[in-house]
Amino acid sequence: MSGATINLLYFARVAELTGKRSEPWPLQGESTGAQLLAELGERYPQLQPSARLKLAINQTHAKPGAAIRPGDEVAVFEPVTGG
Amino acid sequence: MVIVQEADFDAAALAAGLRERAGPTVGGIVTFVGYVRDYAPDTPTETLFLEHYPGMCERELEDIAATARARWNLAGTVIAHRVGALPRNAQIVFVAAASAHRGDAFRGCEYIIDALKTRAPFWKRETLAGGRSFWVEQRQSDLDRAGSWADAPASKESTP
Repeated sequence: MSGATINLLYFARVAELTGKRSEPWPLQGESTGAQLLAELGERYPQLQPSARLKLAINQTHAKPGAAIRPGDEVAVFEPVTGG
Repeated sequence: MVIVQEADFDAAALAAGLRERAGPTVGGIVTFVGYVRDYAPDTPTETLFLEHYPGMCERELEDIAATARARWNLAGTVIAHRVGALPRNAQIVFVAAASAHRGDAFRGCEYIIDALKTRAPFWKRETLAGGRSFWVEQRQSDLDRAGSWADAPASKESTP
């Protein structure tokens, strides 16, 4: 495997829809949350990316415009429902 | 103190421990306990499965507690949240806030549970008595409550 990657984590319904809990994801230079969600929507049409999907970058909530860099841990999930 | 675990918790023991740690200036402790309840109006809930994001969960809860302690005069806080399969009527979450004065304790406790519901990475999967199972949707009312703290006055800021 060549090139930079990020470590993607999926939780709850997103893990069900992708059939995975995590996977390495190729990254060309620097990306953004919105760009990643668009790429995920192409790979997994069942996700139907929308405002529903949330991101955390390195275990911190992130907005779609947030930068994603090689080596980052990026989690994708639907709105949280704890408590 | 932040605890994320599968095992049940002893709410009285957690409150007593907080009182011990917080010291003799504490005049009151406000606690909140959340339980597995019937969410759908027509069908009883059989179990809830709580999934979480280990690591981020603890970080978010620590951050929420730190925000509460910075905003109100709190002598200490406890947040305990269970994960895994929880039967009907089980305890899910415990929040406690200790303070010299009840106003800070009430507001700190309420802020923490409101923020937890919209920030802490937990997800509930509900199984009904009939066997149907689904991921619980986030409620707009929870978002509204969490959002309402953004512009509410804080005692530390308003006290001369």
